Amino acid sequence: MLVLARKVGQSIVISENIELLVIEVRGDQVRLGIEAPRSIPVHRKELLEQIRSENVKAVAASDVDVVTEALKKEPDG
Amino acid sequence: MKVQTTRFGALEVDEGSTVNMASGPLGFEQLTRFCLIQHRSDTSFRWLQSMEDPSLAFVVVDPTEFFDDYEIEISDAYAEMLRLQSEEDALLFVVLTVGDHGKHITANLAAPIVLNSKNRIGMQVIIEDDRYAVRHELATPGAKRSRATTITNAA
Repeated sequence: MLVLARKVGQSIVISENIELLVIEVRGDQVRLGIEAPRSIPVHRKELLEQIRSENVKAVAASDVDVVTEALKKEPDG
Repeated sequence: MKVQTTRFGALEVDEGSTVNMASGPLGFEQLTRFCLIQHRSDTSFRWLQSMEDPSLAFVVVDPTEFFDDYEIEISDAYAEMLRLQSEEDALLFVVLTVGDHGKHITANLAAPIVLNSKNRIGMQVIIEDDRYAVRHELATPGAKRSRATTITNAA
């Protein structure tokens, strides 16, 4: 991993067309600005990991009879 | 075409129900050929079945069945991957996690499956919106539809 130190107002350029700008540092939070081509998705890493983990859980939980019973259109009784 | 599935045996599937993902769901990125199966006509959910891995299937549902206010913005990056020309061509499905032997159901509102109905290209689209949860508790079907947002904006 390449490690660079930046001050507020300084940038990092990745592959010519992606720029990360340090906008603000407040306590332990860093505000980053990202300029990237519209075709490139940009996401918080922990969100991707949460989704990955949830997808795996969603598959494991998919027993046909249990699901069909749980999602019946009309509630029982 | 015939599709092998572990849950439903061998199924006959037509082109009109295929979903060709630009890249597979997170965690399953290599699996891109899916089809939508309505296993039973008396249910509103469908199965997103992999045509490459017989054991891989997700429970998906039209979010409007459960939520009145689920509105998402599909970023340019995803619209491009879906070759989406009009918002109207986008069909949304949310993946359900059914746990605790059916007693606990959550919907992933942060990463819906978006299908371009014109070209059958699909994608799990990540929504960067604090209001939508990866595990949103689902009201029971037949009950009053609930709000999709978990955080209400203060007036």
